[in-house]
Amino acid sequence: MAVSVATHGHDAHDDHGGHDDDIIYQETRDMRLMGFVLFLVSDVVLFSSYIFAYIYLRNSIQPNWPPIVDGHQLPRLDTAFAAFNSVVLFGSGVTMHYALESWKHANKGRFNLFMWLTIFLGLDFLGGQGYEYAHAQIGGWSGNIFGASFFTLTGMHGIHVFLGVCFLFALWLQTQRGVYTEHRFFGLTAGTLYWHFVDVIWVVLFFLFYLW
Amino acid sequence: MDLATIEKVVAFVGALIVFAFALVGLRGEWPKNGLDDNVTKVLLGLMAFGCVLVVLACFGVLPHGGGGA
Repeated sequence: MAVSVATHGHDAHDDHGGHDDDIIYQETRDMRLMGFVLFLVSDVVLFSSYIFAYIYLRNSIQPNWPPIVDGHQLPRLDTAFAAFNSVVLFGSGVTMHYALESWKHANKGRFNLFMWLTIFLGLDFLGGQGYEYAHAQIGGWSGNIFGASFFTLTGMHGIHVFLGVCFLFALWLQTQRGVYTEHRFFGLTAGTLYWHFVDVIWVVLFFLFYLW
Repeated sequence: MDLATIEKVVAFVGALIVFAFALVGLRGEWPKNGLDDNVTKVLLGLMAFGCVLVVLACFGVLPHGGGGA
C-alpha cells in the first residue's frame, strides 16, 4: 500500500524515469487495476440486488404488468424513444473506447475529439432521461411499484452516468495538464472501463423496463 | 411520419453504426490478454448485444418492443 501511494503521482511527472520506476509503476498499476475491477464488481452486486427485487416483484406481486392503479392499467414506457436514447449511450461507449486507443497511439487531436464526443453523448443521454421522467405516465416515485422500481433503478443508473461524465471531464483536464503519458495512463483505462460498465448496466435496464 | 417512427429509424441506423464500431474495437482488443483488455472485451461484447436489442426493438420483434408513447 505504501508503495502504491508513494508512486501514484508518477503517472504524472516521471515519464523519463528509470527502469526501477517502470517496474514499480507496472506492479502498482496491476494492483490499482484489480482494485478498480473489484469496485466495478461491487457495483454489479448493488445493481443486481435491485434488479432481482424488480424481477421478483413483477413476477409474484403484479401479474398484470404494468400494474393497475385506481382501476386503470398504467401504459407501457416509450420504447421508441428509449431505443434512440440507448443508442446515444452505446455510441458514447464506442467513442470512449476510441479515445483511449487514440491516446495509446499518441494522437492527441483524435483523443480530444472522441473524449468530448463521449462527454456530449453522456450529457445527451441524461437530457433524454430527464425528458422521459417528465413525460412518463407511470405515476410518481412512490405512487406504485412500477414507478418506484423504474425511478429507483434508472435514477441510480443516471447518477452513475452523471458521475461518469464528471469523471471523464476530470480525466480530460488531467490530460491537458500532462498528468498522463503514452505509456502511463491508468486513469484513462479506469475511466474507459467505468464508462463501458455504465453502458452495459443500461443494456439490462433497457431490456427489463422496455422490452420485457 | 410520426415521431416514434423517426426515433426508431434513427435508433436503427445508429445501432448498426455503433454495432459495427464495437465489433471493430473488439477485434482490436482480441489479441491482448491483460486484465483490463479482457474486461473490455466482455463489456464491448455486451454493448454490441445491446445494439442487437435496439434493432429488435425497432422492428417490434421482442415482446412489446414496438410500443411508442
